[in-house]
Amino acid sequence: MLTPPPEERIAGPTFSNPDDDGPSFDVVSAYNNVLSTDPLITKPVAAIEALISLLSASPPSTISETLSLLESATSELKATVPNSIALSAGTDLFQRYLISTLQQGSAQYAKSKGRRSSSSGDGDFRAIRAHLLANGRLFVQRAKESRGQIAQAARKFVQDGCTVLTCGRSRVVAAVLIAAADDGAKFKVVYAQDSHDALSTSSTDIVKDLRRRDIPVATIPFSAVAAALPYITFALVGAESVVENGGIISGMGTNQMGLLAKSVGKPFYVVAESHKFVRVYPLGGDDLRLGQTVLDFSTQSEEKEKEHEEGKRKAGAEAVDFTPPDFITALVTENGVQTPSAVSEELIKIWY
Amino acid sequence: MPSENDEVEKKAPNGEQKLASMAEQLPATNGTAKAAQKPERGEKLVDGPKQKELSGKEKKDLAKAQKAAKRAAEKQRQQGQPAVDLVVGNKGDLPTDSGKRGSSGPATPASKSQHKRTGSTSAGAQSSLPHRQAPSHAPSVPAEPEKENKNVALFDHLYGHARRTTVAGAGKDVHPAVLALGLQMRNYIVIESYTTPLRNSLPRHLTTHLSSQIDYLVSCRPISISMGNAIRWLKVEISNVDVSTPEAQAKSDICDTIDTYVREKVTVADQVIANKANHKIESGDVIMTFAKSSIVQQTLVEAFRSGKKFRVIVVDSRPLFEGKNLARALTDLGMEVQYSLTHGISHVIRQTTKVFLGAHAMMSTGLYSRVGTALVAMSAKEANVPVIVCCESVKLTERVALDSFVHNEIAPAQELIIQGKTSSELSKWEEVPNLQLLNLMYDLTPAEYINMVVTEYGIIPPSSVPVIIRLSTNT
Repeated sequence: MLTPPPEERIAGPTFSNPDDDGPSFDVVSAYNNVLSTDPLITKPVAAIEALISLLSASPPSTISETLSLLESATSELKATVPNSIALSAGTDLFQRYLISTLQQGSAQYAKSKGRRSSSSGDGDFRAIRAHLLANGRLFVQRAKESRGQIAQAARKFVQDGCTVLTCGRSRVVAAVLIAAADDGAKFKVVYAQDSHDALSTSSTDIVKDLRRRDIPVATIPFSAVAAALPYITFALVGAESVVENGGIISGMGTNQMGLLAKSVGKPFYVVAESHKFVRVYPLGGDDLRLGQTVLDFSTQSEEKEKEHEEGKRKAGAEAVDFTPPDFITALVTENGVQTPSAVSEELIKIWY
Repeated sequence: MPSENDEVEKKAPNGEQKLASMAEQLPATNGTAKAAQKPERGEKLVDGPKQKELSGKEKKDLAKAQKAAKRAAEKQRQQGQPAVDLVVGNKGDLPTDSGKRGSSGPATPASKSQHKRTGSTSAGAQSSLPHRQAPSHAPSVPAEPEKENKNVALFDHLYGHARRTTVAGAGKDVHPAVLALGLQMRNYIVIESYTTPLRNSLPRHLTTHLSSQIDYLVSCRPISISMGNAIRWLKVEISNVDVSTPEAQAKSDICDTIDTYVREKVTVADQVIANKANHKIESGDVIMTFAKSSIVQQTLVEAFRSGKKFRVIVVDSRPLFEGKNLARALTDLGMEVQYSLTHGISHVIRQTTKVFLGAHAMMSTGLYSRVGTALVAMSAKEANVPVIVCCESVKLTERVALDSFVHNEIAPAQELIIQGKTSSELSKWEEVPNLQLLNLMYDLTPAEYINMVVTEYGIIPPSSVPVIIRLSTNT
């Protein structure tokens, strides 16, 4: 959910692989391009779009070639992006979709063509491929629409007189709150912001948007969350990925908020599109394997530390943490309100 | 107490009731007077749906079985009671028990079997029976003294029948290989036992004959979930066999399918699970495990072979000390192993980074495994250490258990006495008034203490167990 702010996204093309020969398609720059041109898009969907444009740019080939092309593009993408989990939700989903469509498609063709020689398979594959790409675009379209559906489903949580605690730069949360405000609900919002959050445009944009709609918003630092909790009705956060046990990977600070909300018995709701479900099962925050360093031990003096300040701020904006399912009261997806344990079932449905 | 038994009745799944009704055959091999009529009833029950499929041949086989049973009965009568006293006593319990589970009121079994027990004790089979008489209270049950009587009732339903200790009294049509397996199982030798009985019971590829084999196995040790699943699967396979297939062909076909089943559900599944679980082990980890699970062992060995540097803490407990074998096997490979008993758990859990557990059965509400597992899992939760269960999909069950009382297995109390010590305090426990030993085999770890379950279908939370069951049985 937490895509980097626009000015950082532009750095994208520098990631592109210099070894690429001229005509071949650069999936990484395509991915970054999609992210920067469309501010509403999420990482998994951007990955799917990049893969679709990769497929349409590459010449039609056999099924196995298509799959291996996809595979190599996926690993290339994962290698260049700091948080590959969010992205892999999209690439996994697309791969599963592709495989099942190819299986169905070839089965249908085998049926309709009877026992024809395999040489005609080439033309068949062309048709399957065209169908696949068209459907892929439809899929992206639907994924984009799901945010509105979530706002509908989560609307009933935002009752008159309630106070919502939130954090991060989730566009789904923004969509939910704005939809509720437009619907005439009278509520207040407490927005927990880090120093880098306050500087980023997307987070302040949400605050501005809400205030423009006459929704009172209080911004607090993360250190004040515990102190603010007595005034809170429930917490509402977005997620970058939803993992198999129903836990979420989200902007740094979410876990802390979940822990605090749980400790005082306040509901903690997560809003996320179901394409963010990913087949990853971390045992805890230390099992994410994202290569991010939460702790940066140092014996250097303060002056020298300041040189790294800018880099740290950037890393801080990208940093994620893992909120275990125990802290989550309910997940709201475009399919409705679910318990965290439903995620695994949804994922198994996709994979088997 | 009636409520307790009521629960047992409700919980018993279909398969078990079927088994129970099949168990009625057993009296025929015993030689009690009323048993003479029972086999017919029992076999009718079993064969009801199959009558059409296997007509002439089956009748012949049925007749054969009955004849064999009668012969066995006669032989036993000639031998006289004393020689096989213990076994006959046990078997006497079995039919009444199973019969009641199926039909009559739940309150009766206890009183009836108690009556029988007194009889057999006087006949001299003290060794395994006295603890079932259970005069007053169970001190090992953590409860207030004023509730003593209730505690007896709590576990009374579990003392269904003592374990069979010899081959004497077994029905003639029970295949010798099954006999051997039964005794092995009783002595905890066989681990993946559910594979072997199936293959061995093939010579007569009729479910009726299978069932007598199974009954024998049950009389040796209560059947496990995985065995139940495998047997259910085998029966379906057998009933799918075309009647017109020649016998030799059918046999080899079934053998093949069994081999495939074993390969898919056990051998390959174990490899896949070890591989998946291996991903969760990292260099620098301290892995705790309890007792011995072959799949956990395989996982640890695989992780070690892939060059990861980690330490293992084997937690073990009396009376079986299964963890000793695991610790020995791992140290033989050159792994760093720390061995501890359960009383040291609160200390060693602090060094631990992950807990790996094996399963006897896995349900959506929790893990049913060797007694002591719950203690380990709860300590881990307390210390915020993730608990990982490795479990093949055959061990998953839709059964639901909320505690370890309703469904459990009681091992002979003698196992609790420290062997080789003549002056052991417990050696004469039978003569100590108001003392009762309780030696349970399994316990239930509630699902909230389990972080993940590794199956061959993937890594899932305990709540997704029913999804995997649907997946594995539908394909």
